[in-house]
Amino acid sequence: MSRHTLIKRLPRRSFLLQGVALGLGASAIARLLAEDTLTLPFLNGERSLVKYPQKRPLIRLTTRPPQLETPFGVFNESLLTPNDAFFVRYHLTNSPPRAELLQPDRFRLTVKGKVTTTITLSVEELKTHFENAEVIAVNQCSGNSRGFFQPRIPGGQLGHGAMGCARWRGVRLADVLKAAAPEATAKQVIFNGLDTPFVPQTPDFLKAIAVDQALDPELLLAFEMNGEPLPWLNGFPLRLVVPGYYGTYWVKHLNEITVVDDEFKGFWMNPAYRIPDEPCGAIEPGTTPKRTIPITRFNVRSFITSIEEGATLKAGVATPLRGIAFDDGHGIREVLVSADGGRSWRAAELGKQVDRYAFREWTMPFAPERAGKLTLMAKATNRLGQSQPMEPLWNPSGYMRNCVEPVNVLVA
Amino acid sequence: MRTTQFIPLLSAGIVGVLVSLAGVPVEPVKNPFVADELKLPPEKPVLKAAAGVERVTGNCLLCHSAEYVTTQPPLLRAQWTATVEKMRGKFGATILTNQVPAIVDYLTANYGKESPPK
Repeated sequence: MSRHTLIKRLPRRSFLLQGVALGLGASAIARLLAEDTLTLPFLNGERSLVKYPQKRPLIRLTTRPPQLETPFGVFNESLLTPNDAFFVRYHLTNSPPRAELLQPDRFRLTVKGKVTTTITLSVEELKTHFENAEVIAVNQCSGNSRGFFQPRIPGGQLGHGAMGCARWRGVRLADVLKAAAPEATAKQVIFNGLDTPFVPQTPDFLKAIAVDQALDPELLLAFEMNGEPLPWLNGFPLRLVVPGYYGTYWVKHLNEITVVDDEFKGFWMNPAYRIPDEPCGAIEPGTTPKRTIPITRFNVRSFITSIEEGATLKAGVATPLRGIAFDDGHGIREVLVSADGGRSWRAAELGKQVDRYAFREWTMPFAPERAGKLTLMAKATNRLGQSQPMEPLWNPSGYMRNCVEPVNVLVA
Repeated sequence: MRTTQFIPLLSAGIVGVLVSLAGVPVEPVKNPFVADELKLPPEKPVLKAAAGVERVTGNCLLCHSAEYVTTQPPLLRAQWTATVEKMRGKFGATILTNQVPAIVDYLTANYGKESPPK
């Protein structure tokens, strides 16, 4: 692969200046700056749409640290989720890290621990000393869709917008690790970013994976997202990309990689981010698991993106259905669509697989025949034959929701 | 006259910086950090004014904003108790033992319910 060509960015203008440039009047600007709200379809789902740096107005779950959800309509606009609409999830108070800590002259990645050579690199050195690589991959929060769990579960009450698909560009973690040369006894690799807690006794956000997995050439240390430097709120200037794995492993503002010769037992690996050690990570709702294991790979999901819950369609009018499906990288084999609440199904046409880790588009011609209520559904199956349950599965942390999501519409 | 000597030296310095170790010219990285753009919106959300709110504000809101409370579904007293204990035990929140009942009372009264629906 040739040396990476830096993407030139156009100077950004403030939202307000753009409004002025477009000749909008004062009232229109006031409207643009006003805080919109929306209600996610579960109890206590009222949210503000708030503009953050480098972002369009997004659904705000929390202010400190910032947690922002992508408005679902974005997923119908393009297969790649635009950077300014991509979801944001932080854990620690001091997030994102202050901009001055992330400046090119200051930010360094260190690889240390059970390695032959401790190495320290700037992002520019990473870019120029290692072969660059890309993957188009979905990132999804472990707790995406938690707000839909029944019984409800304490935690981030998210709709379906804590996911996104982007083209990630960086260098292979494996190449950087090999440059440091892990010792023969190395067992796990720990990742740390520059976000920090308010009090020192709060566990820092550290995540660990096995050395074998860390040497998988698919894992990237990414500095670009969709052809631009990572946004501040998505990990600038460097984040881990673990295709097919939940976002908890995709450590942002990554500045420290530590190779260890034992199993890391930090809070964010245990007891946080764990699922029942049962098929599909699921147990009887409201019960306690006997044993837990770390959450790892995505299950299969699909969504109808072209029609929202509660929409009104016209009888006899062609209303093509569109949506997305994804899994943990085995690839989507089939998407079935039902317009009668799951009694009958037809195979949708699958779009091109741009990457086995990416959103896969599907489309289906559709024209509702007569007036009344309809329940639309999509159900994907991957190349392993794994699919989506009709009824939601349950676990005590509200992770990994992947059931068929009905969309109820009215035909007039 | 010193200026004319200085300019070539400076230019040579810049060229040196722009050539990477591999000998390939590198464009200077555009710094995406324009200070004015990187201001987080102010923290506005507040908790309901009710008995005990100052204890919740003075303890819980040190580490996180109010939506961590206000966006939850109505949690049972036992769930709010477990949440407060998790913050103390796992997250290192320095909430004094004698403050816990008032905090749990406030959370249950304003963002919870006493018992499951029948």
